[in-house]
Amino acid sequence: MKIDRRCFLSLGIGAAAGTALSPLPWKLMDDASIWTQNWPWTPVPPDGEISYTDSTCTLCSGGCGITVRKIDDRVVKIEGRENHPVNNGGICVLGLSGTQLLYGPTRVKSPMKKINGTFQKITWNQALSEITEKLLTLRAEGRSHTVAAIAGSSRGTVSALLQRFLTAYGSPNFYCQSSIEDSFSLSHIQPQNNKTIPGFDLENADYVLSFGTGIIDGWGSPVRMIQASNAWKTKNLKLIQVEPRLSDTAARSDEWLPSKPGTEAILALGIAHVILQESLYDQAAIDYHSEGFVTWRTAVLGHYHPDKVAEITGIDAKTIFTVGREFGQAEKPVAICGRGKGNTPVSVAEMSAIHALNVLVGNVNKKGGVFTLPEPNYISWPEISFDTKAETSLQTKQIAEGGLLHRLPSAINEAEDSVTLLFVADANPCYTLTDTKEVIRAFKKIPFKVSFSSYMDETAKLSDLILPNHSYLERYEDVPVTSGLRNPVIGLTKPIVNPLFQTKHTGDVIISIARAMKGSIESSFPWKNYYQCLKNGLGQHWNPLLNNGVVEITYIPEFEEIPRFAFQIPNDKPQVLLEGNENKMDLTLIPSDSMRLSSGYIGAPPFMMKTIPDTILKDNNTLVQIHPKTAEKLELKQGCYAILKTPRDEKKVKIHLSQGIGEDIISFPRGLGHTAYDSYLAGKGINFNELIGPVEDPFSGLDVAWGIRASLIKA
Amino acid sequence: MTQEYRKEKKYGMVIDLDRCTGCGACMVACMAENNVPFRDNETDKLKSITWMRIYQLTNGKSYPNEEICYLPRPCMHCEGHNGHSPCVTVCPAVATDYDRETGIVSQIPTRCFGCRYCMAACPYHARYFNWWDPVWPEGMEKSLSPNVSPRMRGVVEKCSFCFHRYQLAYEKAASEDRRELRENEYQTSCTQACPAGAITFGDLINKNHAVYKIKKDPRAFRLLERLKTNPKIYYLSSREWVRRAGDNYHPEEETGKIKSHQ
Amino acid sequence: MDSAFIPEGVKRCPFPQFLAGLGLAGVVLAWGIFAMLLCWLKGLNQTNMNDSYGFALWIWADLAVIALGGGAFFSGFLKYIVGKDELKNIINFAVLIGFICYSSALLILAIDIGQPLRGWFIFWHANVHSMLTEVAFCLSCYFGVLTIEYIPLILENRQIDKIPFFHNLSHNMHEVMAVFAATGAFLSFFHQGSLGGIAGVLFGRPFAYREGLLVWPWTFFLFTWSAAAYGPCFTIFLIKLLEKITGKKLVKDNVIDLLAKISGWMIFTYIFAKIIDTWYWAVVTVQSKGQTLMDFYDDNMFYGLWILVAEIVVGGIFPALILLTKKGRNSASLLWAAVILACLGVCINRWVMVLQVMAIPVLPFEDWALYYPSWQEIATTILPVAYGVILVMISYRYLPIFPQEKELNPIESH
Ligand SMILES: Nc1nc2c(c(=O)[nH]1)N[C@H]1C(S)=C(S)[C@@H](COP(=O)(O)OP(=O)(O)OC[C@H]3O[C@@H](n4cnc5c(=O)[nH]c(N)nc54)[C@H](O)[C@@H]3O)O[C@H]1N2
Ligand SMILES: Nc1nc2c(c(=O)[nH]1)N[C@H]1C(S)=C(S)[C@@H](COP(=O)(O)OP(=O)(O)OC[C@H]3O[C@@H](n4cnc5c(=O)[nH]c(N)nc54)[C@H](O)[C@@H]3O)O[C@H]1N2
Ligand code: SF4
Ligand code: SF4
Ligand code: SF4
Ligand code: SF4
Ligand code: SF4
Repeated sequence: MKIDRRCFLSLGIGAAAGTALSPLPWKLMDDASIWTQNWPWTPVPPDGEISYTDSTCTLCSGGCGITVRKIDDRVVKIEGRENHPVNNGGICVLGLSGTQLLYGPTRVKSPMKKINGTFQKITWNQALSEITEKLLTLRAEGRSHTVAAIAGSSRGTVSALLQRFLTAYGSPNFYCQSSIEDSFSLSHIQPQNNKTIPGFDLENADYVLSFGTGIIDGWGSPVRMIQASNAWKTKNLKLIQVEPRLSDTAARSDEWLPSKPGTEAILALGIAHVILQESLYDQAAIDYHSEGFVTWRTAVLGHYHPDKVAEITGIDAKTIFTVGREFGQAEKPVAICGRGKGNTPVSVAEMSAIHALNVLVGNVNKKGGVFTLPEPNYISWPEISFDTKAETSLQTKQIAEGGLLHRLPSAINEAEDSVTLLFVADANPCYTLTDTKEVIRAFKKIPFKVSFSSYMDETAKLSDLILPNHSYLERYEDVPVTSGLRNPVIGLTKPIVNPLFQTKHTGDVIISIARAMKGSIESSFPWKNYYQCLKNGLGQHWNPLLNNGVVEITYIPEFEEIPRFAFQIPNDKPQVLLEGNENKMDLTLIPSDSMRLSSGYIGAPPFMMKTIPDTILKDNNTLVQIHPKTAEKLELKQGCYAILKTPRDEKKVKIHLSQGIGEDIISFPRGLGHTAYDSYLAGKGINFNELIGPVEDPFSGLDVAWGIRASLIKA
Repeated sequence: MTQEYRKEKKYGMVIDLDRCTGCGACMVACMAENNVPFRDNETDKLKSITWMRIYQLTNGKSYPNEEICYLPRPCMHCEGHNGHSPCVTVCPAVATDYDRETGIVSQIPTRCFGCRYCMAACPYHARYFNWWDPVWPEGMEKSLSPNVSPRMRGVVEKCSFCFHRYQLAYEKAASEDRRELRENEYQTSCTQACPAGAITFGDLINKNHAVYKIKKDPRAFRLLERLKTNPKIYYLSSREWVRRAGDNYHPEEETGKIKSHQ
Repeated sequence: MDSAFIPEGVKRCPFPQFLAGLGLAGVVLAWGIFAMLLCWLKGLNQTNMNDSYGFALWIWADLAVIALGGGAFFSGFLKYIVGKDELKNIINFAVLIGFICYSSALLILAIDIGQPLRGWFIFWHANVHSMLTEVAFCLSCYFGVLTIEYIPLILENRQIDKIPFFHNLSHNMHEVMAVFAATGAFLSFFHQGSLGGIAGVLFGRPFAYREGLLVWPWTFFLFTWSAAAYGPCFTIFLIKLLEKITGKKLVKDNVIDLLAKISGWMIFTYIFAKIIDTWYWAVVTVQSKGQTLMDFYDDNMFYGLWILVAEIVVGGIFPALILLTKKGRNSASLLWAAVILACLGVCINRWVMVLQVMAIPVLPFEDWALYYPSWQEIATTILPVAYGVILVMISYRYLPIFPQEKELNPIESH
């Protein structure tokens, strides 16, 4: 048959029409759409049995109770635990993002050893024998004291085990991050010389005078503080916020006193002046805490008249009088301090000036007031046994004088080989210590660094050996909480899931290293494993803790037990001065804290990063807040780039104009600028700690820098 | 699920702006509950999916008289006039719907074909488009909840009032032979997480639910009330400037006078 | 080379020159196709659209191209229904332009949606309340009609026409074309209208929202009216442009004059209605939402009041006045000015109804959102232009688009 053109065309058209009328194209269309609804690269979470387990959050010092929702053996959601003494169902952005830390790409999945600059997986046996050999060699060489350790906190069994190990081994070089609690304790140094901690009964107060304290920006136990601040709303409590910046706390206060930065102590003394002058103080309290009162009173009345204070602080005299009277006349007034999240100490002079207000109105160790509590020493272990080696090397001086962590980097930078081996647990000093560049320089000088981090943080990244801990959702551990609470609380973390990776509990690692050391060190660690050590150490608290997940250590001191407060005569300048030359750098740089940014040793997980406003972070740029008038002077505009210079470093920042900050002040968000962790966090913004260095309190030696001089130049 | 007739409900929220601290817990509680994806750079807020978003409002005054108020914004689950929500009426493919049983505006990602007309219609910017394929780094997909399907690229998503929680609660009640839910049986993830207790959730037309009473507080207002979107989120604020920021007003107009569809 | 395919009695440029032209347009087309594939394969993250700008450049291009393509349905309406027989001389070209505009619009929609493979849900799961549903149905149907109107034109190609089957088919189709044209006109009224309705029904967006008649907001009627008014100007513009490029007169002046005059009256009446609509909206609708006219214009470097003036006065009143006067229509430069301003006017209107709507904050505490398109958006928006150029080139070369060409350009020898 001959197919001519006409026939061909007819056939073609017929075929096309036939196909169109057949089910084929419709079926294909349908299949295509179904395919888009089931793209294999979009995960389908498997279903399973739902269960809920209670535990404790360790991601900040807040110690909230959590309830973890699982589907079979997967953790899918972390919620606040109802009826928990700390957080009663509430939770914060970081606590909620815990699942992302558990499953995230930042986990260190097995012991790692740095070989020629890159990490390689090793077995636990290799790791442990390597570290044991090193420790034995150093000990044999009589260099036990060159082994140092940094822990995130001084409390809890893991920190205590590490300290115990160092002590038994013969090193006095155990260091912790210092915090506002150290300032409190130091300003209460008394004849009995016991460490004290503050307890705040803020729920029952009726007038809160806060000197820069970020009550809802992450101070104390953050969730509890937010809850307390709302209890105040319904009770008509008055909150007065003294702070140079309109922080979220200032924004919610009844009155914001925008003091000049660093003048908090002077304002407190001005308020004390009003209380003294108008005899609004509590005579009984003064009779008890009488030490130094008379001289102090003369000094305050003589030098801190509100008119004069007004000039220095920028808060007018009338307001000082009003606040002084209100504070003196309130039933349960409380003055609190510790800037922002309260993770950095304040000077003893400042703490004393502010706490003197509490003492004056007699609101110490009373309902609705401040409590001076003994350290919750709840761990009972047998005495450490020492051999002579340990005894002698323990006599060597601490590398960082006074055991102050911030002095460690410069000590190492100055004296070669002062530290030959460093352990770091639950801390990230290469990010959180100020003058970060110097810290990293010091860190690099240490021949062998061991990190226990569960996550690849800045410090772990610079270490030679990582002995990854289980994540907090995979392990047992006690979680002591003191910050900002009325009574200390001990929480317990539980293994919600079996360890996902080749990790090991830091407690177990320390115990097995100790046991491998033999002799007196071994006998100082008479436990099979960490679990047994925890259980034995907690004694009477163990069963309630295991059953309820939390115990409250209620302790009401007898009146005579209350440490007597010593009024100290303020020197001419109770202000902590700023580093830097006023003439060259005429701006003041201060950090700002926010609930939505994690500034501690845990970096913000992806969910948290999503909550950060673009007025703080835009692409990879940190935005600093300045007043429009400051901007005008410096010819800066909203959103433009500028070079921010401080005596320590200089960085390119973006400008955000704000009416929430005074002139000549730069506010800088704390918690950005990580270089480690994952792509969701690393390289975003600038780490505030790089721009600032330690400024020591002449009295305590603590690093009490609250800001630094700076300049801004249009880039 | 039983097909029996259930009493009509109008689930809604009252958010107390006097209590909200702007902490962001509601945002993350929502992300974690609803498998919201995340990306390396989330600083372009016009491309960042946050079913719950927190606005920072200021009173516009200069230092030191500036005031700040945080305003959490989930989907308003607008009822419009008789169920004609701004977004639902425009969706050409019925991929979003007003559920008359619960008053919840649903979003069906597998039906949505991504025309984004609903986004244009929503004055609250409560709708988000999946500009990218959602990607979870290896291992992190383990944290995904099976109760809410992850969405694919090219579709719109938004706050569902945690509808799956309603379904789970309802199934549980049904298994106990109850046809009505108790107030505390169905609560949204953001409500539950808020440390400030700023969010109250419940049935706006049930006299026994807390929201029924609180929404009558003299501090109460709704966003853009005069557009007749008839939202189911009420806000409370004791500050006049905040209430004023909730809608557009002529200078001489007073707040609290505009009432529509209550 | 291809002379066997070229209509008899007309002269065309040498084949290599034609090919070069095609190649040039082809390069642009390829660039557009590349961008289109990127959007399909990688998703709409290739654009600069965002959650504030869910509708952007494309949708504007879509609306603009459909408004400009309005010449097709309106000429059809005038010729077949009103009985303006002179218009038979441009109807082919009007249909061609309509076909290009509408097929482009459909292509743009297919790129614009996030899930192109589910695009058909709009038909299968149709929501009768949605203006977009109405658009989809009318648009697709009218595209079908345009195809049917375009086919006989193709069949008139010299070689195809030689086949008796096609010859007869073509003849028969011409017989019934009036019915299709009438259907097309009817469909067009609706989809032009529903495109206007898209913005007008947005009661959450006071800038776009309009009251109206029955289920249709005033923008529904204004869009239809404006497409009918401005579409012919685009047809005239393209004829004039083609005449400039080919250096030949293709349509007689009386035909252009008639179309221009009708267009003038249409623009005049439309702009009158538009002014009343704007005035009512500004003093009644907007006020009732707690806002004032200047809320939508003042705050921003881009969307100043100038855009309203440009749309109504420069792109509306000016061309209307020119086209209404004989002197204006007869002056070549004034006619050029009129049709260009008119095209700009309607494009600004569509821009405002899409992009300005997205830019304006509704919540008092939000800011204006501005956006600039990515190259992928620009490339895919230019793609239809290149495609249109190619289709016009081919059609003009091989099909008797302009029945008067032979008469106006007699050729001495073959
Ligand atoms: N209450 C209520 N009823 C519903 C619905 C609803 O939402 N609520 N939805 C309706 C809809 S849309 C649907 S599709 C139906 C679904 O209803 P069903 O088809 O009953 O679906 P399932 O109960 O999910 O699964 C059926 C069984 O298949 C088993 N199974 C799983 N994999 C396999 C396999 O590979 N081989 C075999 N042989 N068995 C397997 C599962 O263990 C389960 O027991 O339910 C309908 N009924
Ligand atoms: N974990 C898990 N996931 C599953 C399944 C499973 O067994 N387990 N089953 C899968 C299966 S088989 C199916 S079919 C899907 C079902 O998945 P979905 O379709 O998501 O399920 P539904 O919850 O039944 O319906 C979703 C929404 O549709 C709304 N709706 C009800 N009627 C209408 C209407 O007329 N119009 C519109 N626009 N909306 C309406 C409801 O209010 C509800 O919000 O789930 C799938 N996913
Ligand atoms: S406040 Fe601290 S302890 Fe509480 S949930 Fe948040 S991170 Fe965890
Ligand atoms: S807030 Fe927006 S998305 Fe939610 S119901 Fe209203 S219009 Fe729809
Ligand atoms: S984007 Fe999806 S939900 Fe929104 S209107 Fe289009 S199809 Fe409907
Ligand atoms: S109600 Fe549920 S879905 Fe909506 S914002 Fe809250 S948590 Fe998210
Ligand atoms: S969780 Fe509560 S307090 Fe925090 S931002 Fe949300 S609503 Fe406000």
